[in-house]
Amino acid sequence: MNLIALRTAYRNISQFHENTRLIAWLSGQAWVIWLTPERRKSVLFCGAIIAGAVGVFSRNAKWRDYRALTPWLEHGLAFLILLGFLFALYRAAVGFKQLPTIVRHRPQICFHLIFWLLLALLWFFAASEGFVIAVLSVILLSFPYLIWRAGYMLLSGQRGKAQNSRFRDHLFYIWPIWDGTNTPPGKGHDYLSRTMAQTPDSYARTILGGLKLLFLVALWKIVLELIGVLIYGDPKSPLSALFHDYTFGLPRVKQILGRQLALPLVQVWFSLYLELVWETLSLAAKGHVWVGVIRLFGFNIFRNTYKPLLAQTVVEFWNRYYYYFKELMMESFFLPIYARYFRNSPMLRLVAAVFAAAFVGNMYYHLLQHKEQLVAGDWHRLWSLLGARLIYCALLAAGIAISMLRQQRERSRLPSAQAGSARSKLRSLRRIACVWTFFAVINFWNVVAPLTISERARLFFTLFGL
Amino acid sequence: MMTERERSRQELIDFLRTIQRADYAQAVIDEESGLVESGLIDSLALLQIVTYLEQTYDVDFTERGIDPEDLRSVNSILDLIARESTS
Repeated sequence: MNLIALRTAYRNISQFHENTRLIAWLSGQAWVIWLTPERRKSVLFCGAIIAGAVGVFSRNAKWRDYRALTPWLEHGLAFLILLGFLFALYRAAVGFKQLPTIVRHRPQICFHLIFWLLLALLWFFAASEGFVIAVLSVILLSFPYLIWRAGYMLLSGQRGKAQNSRFRDHLFYIWPIWDGTNTPPGKGHDYLSRTMAQTPDSYARTILGGLKLLFLVALWKIVLELIGVLIYGDPKSPLSALFHDYTFGLPRVKQILGRQLALPLVQVWFSLYLELVWETLSLAAKGHVWVGVIRLFGFNIFRNTYKPLLAQTVVEFWNRYYYYFKELMMESFFLPIYARYFRNSPMLRLVAAVFAAAFVGNMYYHLLQHKEQLVAGDWHRLWSLLGARLIYCALLAAGIAISMLRQQRERSRLPSAQAGSARSKLRSLRRIACVWTFFAVINFWNVVAPLTISERARLFFTLFGL
Repeated sequence: MMTERERSRQELIDFLRTIQRADYAQAVIDEESGLVESGLIDSLALLQIVTYLEQTYDVDFTERGIDPEDLRSVNSILDLIARESTS
């Protein structure tokens, strides 16, 4: 078999989701025909109600707590209040034009203010305990999960696209059955409606696209297991008995930081780069599960992670690494700031919008992620968890802003070397290496470790021999 | 005689030519297909389209916000211009 035949065989296998005979066969299956868009939405709606209820009951308590009646009442009431609150938000999105001017101008801020007011109420009355405080705690613990998703519903209202939608059209992404992250993969109703397969043929294509991602998940999991056992020497790996004698034994960055290990600089740098690869593969595996499952329901949405390690600019990496988080930051922070401020100063306008998204938005999102500490008002713990992240986000925002400004400047320039030439390939490789280095280095500030900022800074400077 | 929409379309296409990617090879801009997806512009250039719409057509994004969907293709941008000029 020659190289061309091998390449064709590889293409046929890897691109099986575009195989017309397979698509024709699948689109003729009775269940694919039966699962019309409307029926799929009904399945998702029922799933969302069940998953939402299970989520409220299970996320904030252990099942053994339910031997008494009170937790049932607390969580049941919290569930109904949350559902009612979401319905009120839906009505606000549908009748967006009738809302007071201040809400129409800043719907997201008003929505988040409600959360903070409730939180302040809880902190104020926390000492009194009792049934109402317990219900409020459950509501507030569920809020960070719903707040970004419901934000997309308000955005839809703000853009005048929610009028003809039904509550059930929104509920299935607000209370999704496919993931547990606070970031909404698939964004909101507007994007999901646009990408929903309408015919058996397009549904079959979307299902195959989803299956491809689920196969990739299995592949990335195997690669991660191999890295875990061969390079990190992970004793918990199921492969550790097999490769016990062949491990490189490189520590993870969190171990280097946590134990303040004194390693040769080459090993530390190798560990930093490998951490980037590891995290990218882990995120790709998780994201492919979310997007793969969403595609099985007929939404032909973008991948969450798409070859970020081949990105040639910082902004391209950010776009490809965690697409739905980037979109959330873009739509919730970047675009509102860009639309509103510094319209007469293009550079300042861009930089302000980037810092709003990559620094303020990013920090705020992660603050809400630590919901237990937030509800408990444990600021000391929050600072220890997020202090170093301030520097990570500042560096990330600076990197993205510089990358965007450079890209804007370079856009109109003709490429200096022909695409595909050795010089051009070398330049691409150099750019990829720079992007890897940037993210590997800033990730140093993102890894959770029991260190103060000054201790971390001291270790950071040793990376450069200082 | 040129209609308002045709004139806007011509001006928009002339503007897109000034911000298109240097390596974009197509001679004709498809008015229906996505500007970023087709490779005509990168996602950053969308921000320049926002500025263009603000300066040329006085489109005010302050209240309605910027909807990336409105900037997806030549036709969707023309629809936005038409909506804004009648509102």
